Amino acid sequence: MANTDHLMASLQIAGAGLATQSTRLRVISENIANVQSTASTPGGDPYVRQTIAFENALDRASGFNLVKVRQIGQDHAPFRVEQDPGSPAADAQGFVKLPNVDTLVELADMREANRSYEANLQVAKQSSDLMNQTVALLKEV
Amino acid sequence: MSDLYLTQLTSQRIGYLSTRQSLVAGNVANANTPGFKALDLKPFSATLQETALAMSVTNPAHITPTAQELAVPRPGEQETANATVSGNSVDLETEMVKLGEVARDYQEATGIQKAFHQMFSQALK
Repeated sequence: MANTDHLMASLQIAGAGLATQSTRLRVISENIANVQSTASTPGGDPYVRQTIAFENALDRASGFNLVKVRQIGQDHAPFRVEQDPGSPAADAQGFVKLPNVDTLVELADMREANRSYEANLQVAKQSSDLMNQTVALLKEV
Repeated sequence: MSDLYLTQLTSQRIGYLSTRQSLVAGNVANANTPGFKALDLKPFSATLQETALAMSVTNPAHITPTAQELAVPRPGEQETANATVSGNSVDLETEMVKLGEVARDYQEATGIQKAFHQMFSQALK
């Protein structure tokens, strides 16, 4: 039946949306957790901020267009530099390179991921509600 | 047109609504995909009033169009597409409104279908 096919598709699409948004949350939490992660060697590069990109691609297993993670990349923004001669990561001049992570940006991103996750959840809930309504036609006739 | 045309009409309405639901799901899932354009179906009434002949499926072996092939870009999409740098035209609020519409219309269609069922079974008693 074509009708239930489309509702099953909505469920799968919303599921894929939930999966990508949770991957995004994982990347954000890694960034926030590593906001102070310096290098282990003197003068070395610290943790590099990770970025995530999505794409809409055909899923051959189900035949639907599902959203998926295209790539988890690295942010090429310059590192923050601080004067801290006591740190094990300080170079000869006493400068320490800190990760190019901005907590404020990460938090804003987290809110957006949260919002998109909720929207996908709403779609998934409603799709299964609609399927239940169709099945309920068989009852009490 | 058979006597059971009305049940066929509600069944087509349900088909239309499930296709629309899958397009809304696609829009919401791609709310953060760069370059994605929001899709929607033509209004059901517009399809009903269409008098032009179109190809139809008369044999199970015929290829049926997918939701994406039936979809048209949402009206007024061009302006919103330019509003975001990534070229994404999905507006989550609009999609949530559409979700409510689909739920309401679906309930209506299944309600009507149920009423017909009751009439038939009453006639059979």
